[in-house]
Amino acid sequence: MTEQDQTLRLERYRRLWRFRSFDDACLEALRRNVIHGELHVGIGQEAIAVGMAESLRRDDAVVSTHRNHFHALAKGVDRRALLAEICEKAEGLCRGRGGHMHPFDVENNFSATGIVGASLPVALGYAYAFHLRQSDAIAVGIAGDGSSHTGAFHETMVIAGAQKLPLLVLVENNSLAISIRFDQISPTRTVAERASAYGVRGMHVDGTDVDAMTDAFAEASRHIRAGGGPVILEATCARFRGHFEGDPEGYRSREERQHLRAQFDPLRLYRDRLEAFGLTSSELDAVEAAEKAAARDLLAEIMALPQPDPEGALLYRFSEEV
Amino acid sequence: MNASTLATEAVTDRSGWQLSALIAETIAWEMRRDPSVLCIGEDIGRAGGVFGATRGLLDEFGAGRIMDAPIAEMAFAGMGVGLAQAGMRPLVELMFVDFLGVCLEQIFNAAAKIPYMSGGRQKMPIVFKTAGGCIGSAAQHSQCLWGLFAHLPGLKVVAPSNPFDYRGLLTSAIRSDDPVIYIEHKGQLLKKLSDFRNNTPIPDRAYTVPFGRAVVLTKGRDVTLATLSSMVEHALEAALVLEQEGISVEVVDLRTVVPLDHDTVARSAARTGRLLVVDEDYLSFGLSAELCMRVIEQIGPGALRQVERLAVPDVPVPAALALERKVVPGVDMIIDRVRTMAKGA
Repeated sequence: MTEQDQTLRLERYRRLWRFRSFDDACLEALRRNVIHGELHVGIGQEAIAVGMAESLRRDDAVVSTHRNHFHALAKGVDRRALLAEICEKAEGLCRGRGGHMHPFDVENNFSATGIVGASLPVALGYAYAFHLRQSDAIAVGIAGDGSSHTGAFHETMVIAGAQKLPLLVLVENNSLAISIRFDQISPTRTVAERASAYGVRGMHVDGTDVDAMTDAFAEASRHIRAGGGPVILEATCARFRGHFEGDPEGYRSREERQHLRAQFDPLRLYRDRLEAFGLTSSELDAVEAAEKAAARDLLAEIMALPQPDPEGALLYRFSEEV
Repeated sequence: MNASTLATEAVTDRSGWQLSALIAETIAWEMRRDPSVLCIGEDIGRAGGVFGATRGLLDEFGAGRIMDAPIAEMAFAGMGVGLAQAGMRPLVELMFVDFLGVCLEQIFNAAAKIPYMSGGRQKMPIVFKTAGGCIGSAAQHSQCLWGLFAHLPGLKVVAPSNPFDYRGLLTSAIRSDDPVIYIEHKGQLLKKLSDFRNNTPIPDRAYTVPFGRAVVLTKGRDVTLATLSSMVEHALEAALVLEQEGISVEVVDLRTVVPLDHDTVARSAARTGRLLVVDEDYLSFGLSAELCMRVIEQIGPGALRQVERLAVPDVPVPAALALERKVVPGVDMIIDRVRTMAKGA
């Protein structure tokens, strides 16, 4: 491995830990009652977002889902503003009005929705705007295996496919739509193979392998920037925790969950690879420790911030109230 | 802009135009003025819109800015949201208001809420232009539904009644940074401008009519009649008939449901002591109750001798004409109701 490769890979490892530590901080905030609502963390799915980060440009757009933290970080959304929003603070990205499912960052073209499948039509709108402006920016609409069964998925692909719009539909297939297993309800073995029905390119990648994921996302974005039309990129992965925090997970056994963590943890898998390439345990431990400490410090700082002023609860409904 | 200051300007004679042609011209003016304005919808390009409200636009602006969409409302309504977030000003045409059900998600969870959910940081300049109202097309093609959209926080809801307002309110809607539901009345779109009772001359330049300003169309002593959209024309006709009988009706055109100008209605009702709200939308949980309540809150229940409502009595609009006439307010129904009120306390 060249020195350049080594730096790049260490940076990927750092990002994996940065993202996981971020969601660990969210879990801690929930335990401390700083977050009072629903929380969906992405632990186990870090490699997909890390794989996006190297290809995304500021002028690209990402429209994400209810499980959006890693995508936001990959798009360059400010960590502090994001965590403050998740923790319902006045200094949050959305002044405490959005919360964890609804972060909006206008400067970074990042948004999300808590409604499964609803991200794709919005991403389609960005793609159409880029097309009209003859820009080579791309719009990334993130979906899960659950979203891939919505009408919005189909309708979006019809329009994007027919007009060859610069849309990348990234399907994070963790094989569970809450409790419903993908193989139990999908008419096809993969989501990617449905791409041919829309005349677009379908790609399939192991979303627990950060290198493979980075390459696949880079290839998909190159194809789209070059005018090749939409791509459905399906990344398989495992959701380690419940659909939401507090999910009793009656739909899978403890053994199954332990098996997933043992076999498909993208951080552990990557560490093994880097060690095989000759990086030392102490180097890797240092990266891990630094990211954990940074997230802990950030959380401590944010927990001390005030909630929004209740007098402003009706502000921001319309533009004249800004 | 106020209608009277424009009356003296030289104007093109548009009296033979259908209302839909005036709407198409209004959109064209805004598209020339601002390159970020674009239209998406079914049959708006080659066909020029099922009512002709986008006729000629494809030729002038091309398929990029006048996008003929597949029957995929959920995708293209959400596309409007994404376009607005990307800095464009989309006008999304949903052929009939009844069809908003298939894409309500993007309207009420995305367009309406994102400005608030973003703490005011994300603007949402989008117009959902659609046609409502009863034209004998039965339950799934004859609704108004403005009360439904008004109930959902974050949407401005507009329902013009006459050519001058159709243009001015549409111009305001396209220039607004907020999501606007702009509801045309199907029964008016193909009507000639000269056939409107309220046909203020249309100036040869763009103008806006502000949201949230109701207008008193006829001065009256006995009953305040507040309504909007096509029912305004019915109310004006009813007022003429009642005038012959010595009953003087003050007709107020609300123009917009959100914001709702209850002040103008309350001032009028405080004078006449009688308020009738006529609404082509459903009766319960809607505009008529909301307006009555706001007026009562403002001037107190003692200030009014009578408060009544006339609206579609919570039933799907029936197909047979005899049944439709029984449930959708018309001129005769309005006359009867006002007459009864005027005879009362």
